[in-house]
Amino acid sequence: MSLALELAGIRKSFDGVVALNDAVFRARPGEVHALLGENGAGKSSLMNVAAGLYAPDAGTIAIDGAPVSLSGPADARQHGIGMVHQHFKLVKPFTVAENILLANRRRYFRSGIQEIRKAIKAQAEELGFDIDPERRTDTLTVAEQQQVEIVKVLVGGVRILILDEPTAVLTDAEADRLLETIGRLAESGTTVVFVTHKLQEVKRYADAVTIMRGGKTVATLDPDTATAAELTELTVGQTAALPARSQTAEGQTRLNVGALSYARADGRIMLKDTSFFVRAGEIYGIAGVSGNGQAELAEALIGAQEPTSGEIWIEGMGDISHAASGQPRSAALAAIPADRYAYALAGGLSIADNFAVANIRSGRYGRAAFVDRAAMRRDARTAVADYDVQGVRSVDQKAALLSGGNAQKLVIAREFSREPAVVVAHSPSRGLDARACAAVHERLLAARERGAAIVLISEDLDEILSLSDRIGVMTRGRIVGEFVRPADRQAIGRAMVDHA
Amino acid sequence: MSTPTARRFGRITLDMRQNLASWKQAAFLGGSLAIGLAISVAILAIAGIPPLQLASELAGVLNADSLRNTLVQAAPLILVGLGASIAFRIGFWNLGLEGQMIFGGIFAAAVSIHQIGPPSTRLIFMGLAAAVGGMFWVLVVAFLKIRFRVNEIIATLLLNYVAQYFLFHLLYGVWQDAQTAFPQSSQFRPFERLTDIGLGVNSGLIIAVVGVLVAGWFVHLSRAGFYMRFISANPAMAKVVGVPIQATTILVVAASGACAGLAGFVNVASQESRLTQSFADGYVFSGVLIAFLSRNDPIVVAVVGFLIAVLFITGQTLQVFYQIPFTMVQIIEAIIVIAVASSEFLIRHRIHWIR
Repeated sequence: MSLALELAGIRKSFDGVVALNDAVFRARPGEVHALLGENGAGKSSLMNVAAGLYAPDAGTIAIDGAPVSLSGPADARQHGIGMVHQHFKLVKPFTVAENILLANRRRYFRSGIQEIRKAIKAQAEELGFDIDPERRTDTLTVAEQQQVEIVKVLVGGVRILILDEPTAVLTDAEADRLLETIGRLAESGTTVVFVTHKLQEVKRYADAVTIMRGGKTVATLDPDTATAAELTELTVGQTAALPARSQTAEGQTRLNVGALSYARADGRIMLKDTSFFVRAGEIYGIAGVSGNGQAELAEALIGAQEPTSGEIWIEGMGDISHAASGQPRSAALAAIPADRYAYALAGGLSIADNFAVANIRSGRYGRAAFVDRAAMRRDARTAVADYDVQGVRSVDQKAALLSGGNAQKLVIAREFSREPAVVVAHSPSRGLDARACAAVHERLLAARERGAAIVLISEDLDEILSLSDRIGVMTRGRIVGEFVRPADRQAIGRAMVDHA
Repeated sequence: MSTPTARRFGRITLDMRQNLASWKQAAFLGGSLAIGLAISVAILAIAGIPPLQLASELAGVLNADSLRNTLVQAAPLILVGLGASIAFRIGFWNLGLEGQMIFGGIFAAAVSIHQIGPPSTRLIFMGLAAAVGGMFWVLVVAFLKIRFRVNEIIATLLLNYVAQYFLFHLLYGVWQDAQTAFPQSSQFRPFERLTDIGLGVNSGLIIAVVGVLVAGWFVHLSRAGFYMRFISANPAMAKVVGVPIQATTILVVAASGACAGLAGFVNVASQESRLTQSFADGYVFSGVLIAFLSRNDPIVVAVVGFLIAVLFITGQTLQVFYQIPFTMVQIIEAIIVIAVASSEFLIRHRIHWIR
């Protein structure tokens, strides 16, 4: 029997960063195939290639044994491949039927929407979903929106369904229900590929599993015969010998996070009694599968989002979790957020302005009446040179014109210009090439030498392992385990997935 | 090849433009303005004013006597334009400029009626009181917005009516002019009026010019102005890097209200010399228009404010000699707004026709 989907020798790079390097994927017809790997392993990229969203730099795609070239997602759907993305693509004020009609065009609206309604009813009945085609999608729960996405793809007559981390947004019960549905769907002949981090899901629901690491396919196995330990090892890789480093004297506690909780506006609890402390001269790494509260923790620490309860205590400032009074936390805390253009830079303003804004209160750039622009430009030029920010013709150019790595260097230059006591870095090397990444790590280690207390939140386990003195593993909004350097990679990997 | 941002509407496609040379931007703006003015002239022609006579009326506005009236009219318009533009710079949509003008006028009139302070400083006291009155009326909204996240557009707009009816309450009640029994306050004493200071320039214009210079310094040179740019460019980022968002917002909003309050003072103290029922009518729209046309730059506000004053005075003349309703002036204002807004659209998009 020929393969339903075969990807071979797929290469893809973005701005010089290699995301996929000779990746291979084979799925048989009518099977549930799990795609397992850490963040950044290339799972989503590979599936985006299969769904026609990314054109690969090299490699071949074959459907039912016949080679195809996909010009886009619509073309992929013509070939019977459909994908449900992690972030749903629904037009919020439209009804379910309208959204599905939008993705499956008909010549006339009136007759088309009738047809679509019938198709939704039939498809939903088959899957056991309870979907009202007349509901507006912004009134649906996340799980219901996901069902709409699945129906949307299936109504288009898709035979290969790709789900990108479908269970990440669901509760346990919802996830089980979804995966059972997927199993039934596969029995009726549809090939289902789902991307996941969770071993239990693979063991319980998948007929086959492909493991990716660092843009490459590591193995394809039968999850019934492979042990959880084997899967973990293949996912996280072998422990590399950690470089020796100077032991800093055990400093006093600079940052204490106590019983921090945060519930989103929709009621979902993202942080639940998160507690840890960081000493001077120490890097505290927070590892975990993304979506387990790391983003919310970072936002609470840097002051972008107020926690529901709990304390964030900084030496010399006291509890700053709710304080809007007194000096801003930026006086003692350097913030290197994951989303640079959300929390670190104003893209429409100049590099000099972006550099100077965090220090203007100190009076370094003139008194309140007159801003000293010459001093700002001078300092910004020095910082751009010191931190090797590339692509700067003038410090008056907009910050938005910088590439990811250089924007990050600018943020770090600004945040470290104050010699902060505490540093919070969230995925500081995301989207950076190897050289920029090394430069960022060097800066973090230099801050550690200087005696700063550093919180490093990252989904990249290698980054955490190579930099951290202590590591906390975060799952479901809490720290579930702590490890001291040199930490056991396998043990951390297990802690990350066992509680998930 | 079409970019991913291209959109199709029948036989027309739209592309986003990345950048456009500034002379081309100016050409689009000038062209749109010309079209807007041409439409305005056409409408006036239909209403019974031949274009040639319109031209002579416009020229008449610029003779010495009318120029004085135009400058008197320009002062409150510039101040109200400043009030709008500095608040808009941080995305605080202050549509309560009329209400704040009214409270500026009421506070100034209160100083006159209760004879607060010696005659020599009375006028200064009235000006300060007017600024406080305008601030008071807008800070109510700033408080509601910061504390309870009340939308400032609705709150400021509706408070205009509250201010208007409070003014009626005073003018039909305790402040009604005993001599004429008209619903207006009694006339200010001579030393309580903004008078000419020579060369046909009214002292109200001095206040407006000083306002322009102070606002220009505030937004372009001061630290608060620097903060304002971050608050409008990226508030979430501004919060994280320690920009004092709340303090800056309150300061800017208070300044906006103070400008509107001063506009009220200049209007009542230089034109009618008394509080009337309708001294603030239509100013919120003019203020927003001036801020919009000047792209919120205080220095440009001075120029645009003057041009709108020319429009106002011409409108008044036409009203007297041709029985054209004053609403016509507002229609022309609206046409100009639409013309400028469409030039913005053309500056940001490229249009192709498919044959």
